[in-house]
Amino acid sequence: MKNKARGWQVITEWLAAHDRQPFVFQEEAWEHYIQGRSGLVNAPTGYGKTFSLFLGSVIDWINQHPENYKQKTKNGLQMLWITPLRALAKDIARAMIEVLEELDMPWQVGIRSGDTPVSTRQQQKKQMPEILIITPESLHLLLGQKDYPKVFTTLTTIVADEWHELLGSKRGVMVELGLSRLRGLAKGRAPLRVWGISATIGNLDEALDVLLGKPDATAVIVRAQLDKQIELQSILPDEIEKYPWAGHLGTKLLPKALPIILNSKTTLIFTNVRSQTEIWYHEILRQCPELAGAIALHHGSIDMELRVWVEDALHEGILKAVVCTSSLDLGVDFRPVDTVIQVGSPKGVARFLQRAGRSGHQPGAVSKIWFLPTHSLELVEAAALKAAMKEQLVESRMPVLLAFDVLVQYLMTLGISDGFHGAEIWEEITGTFCFRDMTEDEWQWILSFLTTGGEALYSYDEFKKLEREDDFYICRSRQLALRHRLHIGTIVSDAMLKVKFISGGFIGVIEEGFIARLQPGDAFSLAGHTLEFVMIKDMTALVRKSKAKRAIIPSWMGGRLPLSANLGSVLRRTFSEAMSGNTTEPELKILQPLFNLQEHLSHVPKDDELLVEKITTQDGFHLFVYPFEGRLVHEVMATLLAYRISKRQPITFSIAMNDYGFELLSDQEIPVTDEDVYALFSLENLSTDLQTSVNATEMARRKFRDIAVIAGLIFQGYPGKHKANRHLQSSASLLFNVFRDYDPQNLLLRQAFNEAFFYQMEEARLRESLERIYNNKIVITEPTQLTPFCFPIKVDSLRESLTSEKLADRIKKMRPQF
Amino acid sequence: MEDVIYTFREQTWHLSAHRAIFWQEEQALIVSDLHLGKSTHFRKAGIPVPANIGQDDLYRLQLLITAYNPVQVIIVGDMFHSSENNDVPYFKLWRQQFAHISFKLVKGNHDILGAHLYEAMNVKVYDTLSIRTIHFVHEPCDNSEGYTFSGHLHPGIAVAGSGKQRLRLPCFYFGRNCSILPAFGKFTGLAMLEPEEDEAVFVIAENTVLKVN
Repeated sequence: MKNKARGWQVITEWLAAHDRQPFVFQEEAWEHYIQGRSGLVNAPTGYGKTFSLFLGSVIDWINQHPENYKQKTKNGLQMLWITPLRALAKDIARAMIEVLEELDMPWQVGIRSGDTPVSTRQQQKKQMPEILIITPESLHLLLGQKDYPKVFTTLTTIVADEWHELLGSKRGVMVELGLSRLRGLAKGRAPLRVWGISATIGNLDEALDVLLGKPDATAVIVRAQLDKQIELQSILPDEIEKYPWAGHLGTKLLPKALPIILNSKTTLIFTNVRSQTEIWYHEILRQCPELAGAIALHHGSIDMELRVWVEDALHEGILKAVVCTSSLDLGVDFRPVDTVIQVGSPKGVARFLQRAGRSGHQPGAVSKIWFLPTHSLELVEAAALKAAMKEQLVESRMPVLLAFDVLVQYLMTLGISDGFHGAEIWEEITGTFCFRDMTEDEWQWILSFLTTGGEALYSYDEFKKLEREDDFYICRSRQLALRHRLHIGTIVSDAMLKVKFISGGFIGVIEEGFIARLQPGDAFSLAGHTLEFVMIKDMTALVRKSKAKRAIIPSWMGGRLPLSANLGSVLRRTFSEAMSGNTTEPELKILQPLFNLQEHLSHVPKDDELLVEKITTQDGFHLFVYPFEGRLVHEVMATLLAYRISKRQPITFSIAMNDYGFELLSDQEIPVTDEDVYALFSLENLSTDLQTSVNATEMARRKFRDIAVIAGLIFQGYPGKHKANRHLQSSASLLFNVFRDYDPQNLLLRQAFNEAFFYQMEEARLRESLERIYNNKIVITEPTQLTPFCFPIKVDSLRESLTSEKLADRIKKMRPQF
Repeated sequence: MEDVIYTFREQTWHLSAHRAIFWQEEQALIVSDLHLGKSTHFRKAGIPVPANIGQDDLYRLQLLITAYNPVQVIIVGDMFHSSENNDVPYFKLWRQQFAHISFKLVKGNHDILGAHLYEAMNVKVYDTLSIRTIHFVHEPCDNSEGYTFSGHLHPGIAVAGSGKQRLRLPCFYFGRNCSILPAFGKFTGLAMLEPEEDEAVFVIAENTVLKVN
């Protein structure tokens, strides 16, 4: 029956004319689409996932207008295509326009993002294209325009592209809220078709639930059964004994990576943090000057124009190599890329698969990825990744729940356009996955936060934001509306300064804190240039080119990702396999001397063992513990242990951790024995111990930063007018203190604590691993020197502290820092 | 709430954990950087910070006045945060209970209210103020003429101990040429100082004042 429909026929004929045939999953998706269903398409990049839904809507349209689909114009907005990346929009639009032209269909495809010029926006206001490709932020901006419902009267379909990417973030919540409004607007018409497109993640079913909000029995998941073959090969140091035990750069192995780059057409070199890309870029040029002009770098702090140039150059195949961060994880395919090098641990299976997939795009081709360790133990991760890929252990993306900050922003957005009726919006948002458990009290609190500033009205108050007229809420201040429009979005970056040449020319952005430490004349590195800092003027760092040999590499915060639970568990198994002596993995074989040394000095833990090392150095008394659960879990577990030990006697600890384990360091001997060590990992009193031990306040304070910006508490000024309104500036940390002291019931404050517990502390995962450890064998050793395991933690990690001593006693022992 | 008595330049200074100094010889309560009206200023602009911060600050000032019973209150600048709002009439009302105490404001960069308002609040305004050998100036400067007491910076200090611990706390700073008071208002941040070896620093840790340098 399906083959007889006109639209289907047109499309298959068109494909056949290009010697192409639809994939099975595409046909499946079209079928469901024509039936009016919603759902999720699970397909990797480069396999026509766009066509699985775009062509579905074309087929449907032709089916409904078989006679005049080639003539019908100005049909109004049919399909919203939400994409997380502005850069993707252009390529998707290009692909769609190509098809429409060949089919002789007069549909328009428009793009709406932060880059869309005003003239185009106005044109769109007069006549919306049939397909609009949009970012979550721009969708909310549309909802913030007067008379916005008119735009959506003809809408039938919404597609959330790269849904796995949006799902675990507050941008995903923006999509959920946007969808809830669009569904509300479509009431009384045929229900909207809502589709997601997602790469493989551990919780696809849940991903669909989040998209739908309310359960929909007819919704489907369409899976592309395409086996993408991935081959991992490690770049091994010649002498493992000489390769560093700790470190995170990996440039020592560059001489072995250069031949790979030179023998490939185009190579993507993935690093984990932005500073590392800068260092690698310089090092490649230093060791191989003939690559000048043929390599580039790409990360989130580089000027947009330059990034677009790099992406275009990748398409054209004129670059030999690009050093990049996760900024190139996503996106369309760069066909010329035939080699991928991963520097250091990718921290998770999904990310690794995604990066590996950036090479070898032809269906059926093997994607090859090289793993370059930054320190010797990291080679174990390569072996673990192979095992995880074989077993298809891909991480889940946890959806964000009860993001009140995003809700506050969204309600203000509705407030600045046409205003909203409380009852109607309550109905819509409690139909989303994110807010389905929101209570009536919480809703009332949010409304009063926006109308009275969270305080009962009293005579001295002058709060102004949303005005309330019965159950109708609206913002009548043009100034507030303007300010809000500039603040829409949930991507919060650190205070960034633009970096510009004195002679003109924008280079990129850099953290304010980094520039603050520079003296005029200092040289630093950005976007591959060596720059001399001249001065700061109007929120811009002015620089000139520098000939300095040594330059400071800026460090951007927030790049370090924790190890995923999946990878952690495979890693434990891999260690135990390494010691079994019958491994065939080259990464484990080469590490044998290191394992032997570890075994000689201390012990290599088996799958069902937890290793604890007690070491004394001139720094003090160390306790190293290796659960392999990732940095976040270690941070909490270390604090918990420190707290439980400190209940035995007054003692102060400094805590350090990496993805493999953690360290407690004290100026006194740490009282832990074979007998009492198990009690430290007990689940008994866990909740109370956690509440009192973990520096939840500090964690929450960090989480509050983004929340304050998203909820509009941080005044960011107007573009080009930053100097005015100086009296409205305050830091999120200060606001956090103020709320904690004066308004502890504030929902945004509570959200910060919840985020700290659920996302930062990963409480559920912590419980699981404590339970595992409690039932394992705990092996305590007392090595006389630092071991290969503990070395990376000691020299290269982040520190926290915990104490059971009185603040005053501690300060008496401290010295001021200069 | 305890205080620490510090003898310096032959005068007796009570350093209170409430972020104020009581100068015994002059019977003067010295505070700086109150930033009254700040939360109201934010609220007026649609930023819903708690409304009662300024009132709480004034309550603490009230406690200090009751405890030390000074004849004068010296404010070393930034008494109000910004332009006039409803915290001004509130202050006027609050001020009436201490009509017998003189309030002296050494003008800071935030003190932009009109002269008539200060008059109405019964606050005398000075550009600088000198009592005995002490010069009160809002912004710290190297004054070779004598010794200055300033505010403006909202000074804090990072203290570190063994085991790589770090804390950031508000402080009183007594340098060679000038002293800097901690910000009195609770809706204020911290700027980290780096004192020299021979300069005295007292941190405020919860309810106590401790000498750390």
